[in-house]
Amino acid sequence: MLGSDPTLLSHMTNGVYWAGEAPEGSTKFVEVSLADSDDVWVFQRRAYEDALYLVKAVMLSSAGPKATITAAEARIDALLDGQRLGIGSPLGVDGYTFMDMARERRLRQTERDDLDLSIKWWHRGGYYRVQMATA
Amino acid sequence: MAILSGRNGRVGFDSTPSGSPSEAQQIQALNAWTAQFATEFEDVSAFGNTNRVYVPGLRDGSGTIGGFWDSADRTLWNASLATSPGKLVLVPNISDTTPASGSPHDAPSFTGLAYIDFSIDCSLAAPKVSANWRAAGNFALEN
Repeated sequence: MLGSDPTLLSHMTNGVYWAGEAPEGSTKFVEVSLADSDDVWVFQRRAYEDALYLVKAVMLSSAGPKATITAAEARIDALLDGQRLGIGSPLGVDGYTFMDMARERRLRQTERDDLDLSIKWWHRGGYYRVQMATA
Repeated sequence: MAILSGRNGRVGFDSTPSGSPSEAQQIQALNAWTAQFATEFEDVSAFGNTNRVYVPGLRDGSGTIGGFWDSADRTLWNASLATSPGKLVLVPNISDTTPASGSPHDAPSFTGLAYIDFSIDCSLAAPKVSANWRAAGNFALEN
């Protein structure tokens, strides 16, 4: 969903990747990682999966103005927070019933290079909790 | 001796209590149940006793049921509306059917007639349901 959104891709031109898989040389990309996961059981079966994803835009400061990553952060939130993923839809997950998806907290971080302090990586995004019940 | 996990527990309820415990309809999306069969005691201490002396009365028969709200299963809600008791089947582990020795059998269950109430707690997390049950007849440990 993130990787096919033209608005988001216009800001983060290198694309959307799982953590650590962005191609070498990428300077504007979105990174997704699984921060935490919990399986909730009822008798005899898993009731639902509760996963916390870190979704953030990552941008090298020399790759453009800060407004670019700010816009990307806002677009990520617009695409994910409070959205519903229906079974059978392009956004749904086979075998699961959608429960909820919402941001739990923001992430706003600046990473400086140890040797050259003028080199800065901006990280903007948030932690999104996705809950899906087993169908 | 078999100590098994409660993960394979089950709560069943039959609003028309005529079948065997294994025929009771399973209530979906539950993850906890309790049962209290505490015995009441009367203090019959008398002069000359060196410690208190009691005699037992009747056992209690009550408990709780808990889990998540599943809109596809209204059994617990419907049970709370019933004006006549249904058969409640509380199973610690539904897979406990083969003893170390002896013939296979249905899983042991605490079974009897009961009235049930209903509560729901809807917060930002998955809505949780809970219920209290009270014995409406003799309870037995079957199988």
